[in-house]
Amino acid sequence: MGKAKKSSKEDEGTSEARSSGHGMSKRKRASDPDVELSSLTMTHLHDNIQDDDIEMVCSSDEDDNDPKSRRKDRAIASTSAADDDTLRIAGLQTDALVTEVRNDEFGAKDYRSQMELKPDHMSRPLWVAPDGHIFLEAFSPVYRHAQDFLVAISEPVCRPERIHEYKLTAYSLYAAVSVGLQTADIIEYLKRLSKTNLPKGIEEFIRLCTISYGKLKLVLKQNRYFVETIHPDVIQTLLKDEVISQCRLRYDEQAPLTEDPAGKSGPTFAGSTTLPNEDESTQAEKDSVPQDIVDFYDKIDRDEDDEAEVQSKVVSFEVKQDLIEVLQKRCIELEYPLLAEYDFRHDQHNPDINLDLKPSASHRPYQEKSLRKMFGNGRARSGIIVLPCGAGKTLVGVTACCTVRKRCLVLCNSGVSVEQWRSQFKIWSTADEQMICRFTADSKDKPHANAGVCITTYNMIAHTQKRSWEAEKIMEWLKSQEWGLMVLDEVHTIPAKMFRRVLTIVNAHCKLGLTATLVREDDKIQDLNFLIGPKLYEANWMELQNKGFLARVQCAEVWCPMSPEFFREYLEIKTRKQTLLYVMNPNKIRALEFLVKYHERRNDKVIVFCDNVFALKNIALKMGKPYIYGPTAQAERLQILQNFQHNPRLNTIFVSKVADTSFDLPEANVLIQISSQGGSRRQEAQRLGRILRPKKGSIAEEYNAFFYSLVSQDTSEMYFARRRQRFLVNQGYSYKVITRLAGMEDETLSLSKKEQQLELLRIVMAASDTDINEEDKIVGSTRETGGKVQMTRKAGNMGSFSGADDSVYMEYKDGKQAGRSGRGAASSKNENQHTLFKKFRSSKK
Amino acid sequence: MVNVSKGVLVKCDPAMKQFLIFLDEKEELGKRFIIQDIDDEHLFISKDVQEMLKERLDSLMDKISISAGIKEGER
Repeated sequence: MGKAKKSSKEDEGTSEARSSGHGMSKRKRASDPDVELSSLTMTHLHDNIQDDDIEMVCSSDEDDNDPKSRRKDRAIASTSAADDDTLRIAGLQTDALVTEVRNDEFGAKDYRSQMELKPDHMSRPLWVAPDGHIFLEAFSPVYRHAQDFLVAISEPVCRPERIHEYKLTAYSLYAAVSVGLQTADIIEYLKRLSKTNLPKGIEEFIRLCTISYGKLKLVLKQNRYFVETIHPDVIQTLLKDEVISQCRLRYDEQAPLTEDPAGKSGPTFAGSTTLPNEDESTQAEKDSVPQDIVDFYDKIDRDEDDEAEVQSKVVSFEVKQDLIEVLQKRCIELEYPLLAEYDFRHDQHNPDINLDLKPSASHRPYQEKSLRKMFGNGRARSGIIVLPCGAGKTLVGVTACCTVRKRCLVLCNSGVSVEQWRSQFKIWSTADEQMICRFTADSKDKPHANAGVCITTYNMIAHTQKRSWEAEKIMEWLKSQEWGLMVLDEVHTIPAKMFRRVLTIVNAHCKLGLTATLVREDDKIQDLNFLIGPKLYEANWMELQNKGFLARVQCAEVWCPMSPEFFREYLEIKTRKQTLLYVMNPNKIRALEFLVKYHERRNDKVIVFCDNVFALKNIALKMGKPYIYGPTAQAERLQILQNFQHNPRLNTIFVSKVADTSFDLPEANVLIQISSQGGSRRQEAQRLGRILRPKKGSIAEEYNAFFYSLVSQDTSEMYFARRRQRFLVNQGYSYKVITRLAGMEDETLSLSKKEQQLELLRIVMAASDTDINEEDKIVGSTRETGGKVQMTRKAGNMGSFSGADDSVYMEYKDGKQAGRSGRGAASSKNENQHTLFKKFRSSKK
Repeated sequence: MVNVSKGVLVKCDPAMKQFLIFLDEKEELGKRFIIQDIDDEHLFISKDVQEMLKERLDSLMDKISISAGIKEGER
């Protein structure tokens, strides 16, 4: 009940709040901000909202107030008991917010009656709206203080240049508590930063969400579990509960705990430096910041570091190890969820591995900050760290491993990234060949006696079919180990089901998730909160770009008019072949050719992304460039990639979606996307990530990397392109729309004659459905088999042996396919089949 | 005998012209409306479908863009 209410209410809230934010940013550009903006109330800022249509489109990205995804979200929520808990609290919030808000003609809310401006509002940076949205002025002198704090307590929604929008959610507050912030501090600091008084409802909400969270910690010390708290009253309540007192290990059977004071004095994490005082702000800047904000900021900063000292006042009791699950469940029922922490310094049961960071490894400020959140009090917390692609996630992972110094398991999602992790370990840490053990379909290193780090893929662990003898042996070894730390690379990609499987197979004390894009189109992202832990840190892309940690990227959307013949066919056909028609649009291919030629002349390295395999092969062959897609063998892939990196004669490669994530191509600085997977925000961001690594030289130019997305005009591709851009727009990127490429007329390009275009159309029309679906099938089978035996499935279709797939037979086959379903569809059906049937089928062959 | 019918000259890009021809052939607006196909960019169409055609084009454009007014979920 409460849930439903919450969502509907928030739906309105989000859009209104967002549009008001937009209004603000627009006004800002129009006039001097400091004088005018801060004296206006939110509704007034709307007056000029309509005068710029293109911008409206760009920032119309309704990320999370899409009712459909929300409904799904709710469906998921109701299946998970733990989720319910949080949402119930969130529901309470809306009940507390019984307010009458007048909407103006643009749907903006007028909060003037509830929010009173403070006399010194000019120097304070925040608007906290009663619906949980927070607007931060990025140009305010207090910005830096406020931003760190807001990232800790709320979710960033949209962070363009001037005004940032954040949103308070139950999850984000949960995360805030788990990194050590206290309820009172959160409220107090929000109050001080806010231009207005803090709405009552918000205060209530924060209380509700945080009061029960984070009070209790489940700590693993010397292989014994303790429940710890700094609130004696909580532990009293807890022990009165029957179930919990049963879980308690009585004092008489408890051996005294040996304190090891040496552990405390060590650095927070490997390679940590004493943080240089970031307060480089000028005196003038200081003057404009109200004193109370500065004081409080310092206090919160100190709090995080000094927490270890507070620990001396903790009360705790030990827990029987076999009853841990029961205890955890009961605590959730009592609304005192346990935060799991791993006291790795005092873990004597698991041997230390000899792994250190090399002295040459140095951290960038944001990497340091994210690690500080993880190892804040000398123990390891589980959680997720969100850093943009190319910002050095791997180094964060390696450092975490070197800090814990217990056996570490690194999980990635492809064989290539396994190799990349391995080389990164060699670069940054003292690990040698023997210490790193790979476990993939292609390379199975025998676990050495002192193997400390194991790198493998999700598929290898979760694999359900029969394994080779060798793989079986390694799996046994994996299962028998007690892992200190599990690093989960690209954590957003793993479906919850597979992840749960992985968790049941291997045991780890602490889990660290790494990702760049914590979004999924199906909103399963919330599951990660419970499977891994809260989000510990999220970096601001634009800030990193401005500081030079990321390449400065110019994003452009190139509109290519459909050729009349192609558009005609596009209108006639209502099947998936439509896709092929707008991907193979001759004008698009010409634009691609032009861009490639242009950038090759500038000595740029170009990657062309194309999801559609048929188009990929055709265009790549036409242009005489190498291409990589699903079935490309590992050796060939590496060869192409190496040539691309080192051979000055090869400047362009074509790749399918296999290269979306974890293909590290530091040289590439131009990315051209000609076809993509629907409206996936994640894919867009991940692809951009391929060129985000900071570029050397070329400082003179404003931009040093280019991201082109080629779109066929007037087709549904336009719609998808808009959807895809939402995530990056929220991160502060802006897309330039190019309708005409200057200089294209002077270039000699292929497909200039009508006959050539018609010939291409003939090829496209002759392509069978199989060609269109190809990539899906390959990717599907890679998942299952770990990329080794994927071709066996193809053998199932006798038709392909005899050449029946060929275009000549297309029409005849088409008729049959209606009943029999295409090859691609059949194989995807296969995936869902019971293993028993699969076995039966393959044996029949 | 002389037939007189009022018409409108439409100028559009070649792709859009194909869309109009498509509508015409499929009689999507209830009847055929193209009077004369002039060249790649010009068509002469009968006047009474003008409004309907405008609506039709607007809905095509809406389909391929997300505007601020429309929430994604509605689709």
